[in-house]
Amino acid sequence: MSIILFIFQALLIPGLSPLIVGIIRKIKARFQNRQGASIFQPYRDLWKLFHKDEVISETASWIFRYTPYLLFAVTIVISAGIPMISTMATFSPLGDFLLFVYLIALGTFFLALAGLDTGSVFGGTGSSREMTVAALTEGGLIFSLFSVALLAKTANISEMVNAISVVPFSMLAPVVIAFIAFYIALLAECARYPFDNPATHLELTMIHEAMILEYSGKRLALVEWAAANKLLIFISLGTSIFFPWGIAQNVEIVPVAIALILFLIKILVMAVSIAVLESTIAKLRFFRLPDLLLTSLVLGMIAIIITVI
Amino acid sequence: MNKQELIEKYIPTQSSVEEKNNLLLFEVSVSEIETVCQKLYFADKMTLMTMTAIDERKENNSFKIFYVFGLPGEKFFLVPYLKLQNTEEFPSLVKVIHETSWYEREIMTMFGLQIVGHYYPEKVLLHENWPANVFPLRKDFPWNKKIEMAHEKSHRFKRVGGEGIYEVPVGPVHAGIIEPGHFRFSMLGEEIINLEPLLGYTHKGSEKLFEVLPLEKKIALSERISGDSSFGHSLAFCQSLELIGDISAPLRAKYLRVIFAELERIANHFNDIGFIMLDAGFSFGGSNGARLREMIMQINQRLTDSRFLRGVNTIGGVKKEISDLMEITSKLKEIEKDFKEFINIALDSSSLINRLKGTGSMDSQIAKDHGVCGVSAKALGILSDARINFSYAAYSKLNLSIAIEKEGDVYARFMVRVKEVSSSFSLIYQALNELPAGEIKTSSISNFKKNSLAIGIAEGWRGSIVYFVATDNEGKISRVQARDASFLNWSVLPHVAVGSVLLDFPLINKSFNLSYSGYDR
Repeated sequence: MSIILFIFQALLIPGLSPLIVGIIRKIKARFQNRQGASIFQPYRDLWKLFHKDEVISETASWIFRYTPYLLFAVTIVISAGIPMISTMATFSPLGDFLLFVYLIALGTFFLALAGLDTGSVFGGTGSSREMTVAALTEGGLIFSLFSVALLAKTANISEMVNAISVVPFSMLAPVVIAFIAFYIALLAECARYPFDNPATHLELTMIHEAMILEYSGKRLALVEWAAANKLLIFISLGTSIFFPWGIAQNVEIVPVAIALILFLIKILVMAVSIAVLESTIAKLRFFRLPDLLLTSLVLGMIAIIITVI
Repeated sequence: MNKQELIEKYIPTQSSVEEKNNLLLFEVSVSEIETVCQKLYFADKMTLMTMTAIDERKENNSFKIFYVFGLPGEKFFLVPYLKLQNTEEFPSLVKVIHETSWYEREIMTMFGLQIVGHYYPEKVLLHENWPANVFPLRKDFPWNKKIEMAHEKSHRFKRVGGEGIYEVPVGPVHAGIIEPGHFRFSMLGEEIINLEPLLGYTHKGSEKLFEVLPLEKKIALSERISGDSSFGHSLAFCQSLELIGDISAPLRAKYLRVIFAELERIANHFNDIGFIMLDAGFSFGGSNGARLREMIMQINQRLTDSRFLRGVNTIGGVKKEISDLMEITSKLKEIEKDFKEFINIALDSSSLINRLKGTGSMDSQIAKDHGVCGVSAKALGILSDARINFSYAAYSKLNLSIAIEKEGDVYARFMVRVKEVSSSFSLIYQALNELPAGEIKTSSISNFKKNSLAIGIAEGWRGSIVYFVATDNEGKISRVQARDASFLNWSVLPHVAVGSVLLDFPLINKSFNLSYSGYDR
């Protein structure tokens, strides 16, 4: 039973991530008075890209060729360590939050290298921008998770979830503050507003899209899918750690079923919040991004201080 | 001022002055042209409307170069000109009047006349594969001649040296459906150190075609110089033809021209307002701008059978009548209300305003040196609007408020458009209200005057559109120059981009929204 649930939980991320992207796009389209494509369109796009030929620059090295596989693999490995419906169905050695942060960083590192690899100008500028943002995001991300780890007295994500769900409400102030810090880091890591515009066609303003401009066909499909996975990983990690209520702590049918429904509702709420945010604000200018990321860092620190006190 | 006063006040005493339609021409020698132009431009504070050349080697073995100066509020334009006999060189005025730079380069490219003393005598408009000694606007160049590709040298971009400087080439093919143009950025990190646009990819030889097409097709051609300002271009062209043909449009036609011209302005400003917001990442604004523009386009379609108001203007008036005035007024009032609701939501967004303010600021001296006109000039507090300065059609009878901003940044250009939309709506209501009865077109077109010259001006939605038209000794049109506002404003864009970050460039570019086709012709 537990093995089946483990496999099911690990496949939730790659299975649902295109849907989440589709839902966000649909909501944004409705905000713009457009009909918008079906919420299943991202699946069709992936299907289409997997059936296309690809063009690889002659100057590209193995880094460019293998990065998509690495990126996708990293997201699958991370998925296995995140409790979404049951804390008993995760692979616990992968559940360390520091491991999570640096697996994400590993993917970013190779993607940035791949952007530089082909020697195209846009790949290079994209990589340079991505590394600027990534370096500044890391602090806020680690501190926000670290404050929760302090409160739960463990670095294992599943155990953090168990611990937080029994913490009395009066003690939750640092969790709320840490969540805001985490949310800002999520937007930066996943190339969402106000950091990056996932829908832009303007190559001069891109960050994430500029790095992957040279990809096509199957590799592009993998990169896009991995990006969608990353978004859903951050969303589910956020909901699991900061709003752990309802996640089953065993592998019984009824609690797991309730947990699954609650999980779907939680990620839907997060997706809607991102879509609403992206529809109502303008993108920040690039040199003001550090201010926002610094806010994330400071909030993370405040959360830690409150926890310690 | 009447003609005599103008001559006495502004034209050197010993010159003989020829009056041709709305031009007062006087010949100036090569050695004196700089002082004469300098006086008109600086001391008398005139605007350089356009500058162009004519090949008259067949008639009198010479090239002529015309410098057209305008004084706001005056009916006549002062035109010193050079007559180049036995020489193919002309002096550059760049050192005194900077905005002559691109005009001179164009004359060099198209007529094969050498500029003496220009700091950057590079070819413009024609592709680098165009052979060196073929000059398309000379009369001995047949319009339908097939040209062999030259494969000579490639265009020399200005190089910026130094540690950490790199170049970013963008275009001519862009992401998204826009016109082609190449931009060469020299970058230091994210900061733009230098930008050189290379245009001409949509050069169609229009000015040569003007010389050979039949009259009706000439007007159709003018509508295609820059498709989004079809009406502005055909209006300027028809007004110059009416001067040379010695006819004038009936009053009703003049009012209708105001209505159509303002509809075109509103439609394009809606589009730009939307796109500026979209490029700032404010997607709500982007989609609403497109929606509102479409509503105006559908009104255009209903009134004239053309979404772009093509086929409306003709010599001596307009071809399309507006009958159901009440219905149009109420429709427009609805759209205006819709726009006001939408723009209020947008202007309440502090993140949007923050993004627009301070981005892409233009230095006012640089702008003046480049002769910036239209929306970009008004965003700097410069009153550059042909509807007031060189009033035409029925504008002088209507109450027009000019939108002016001070800061010269993206926000200012955005706000000029927002305000102009309101003033255009008001102009249309007034014109619909006071629309006089009568003909919409003068019936017969008499022959054009022989050996004549005239210029026609209209304020397109980007800025002034100037048509310089000449006829030969049989009364046939022998030369047409179509100067879009983009011709001047493209030259200032690189200066605005320098010092900005690359990420801001699309937004800055969109706030100008210049026409590639209008520049390239």
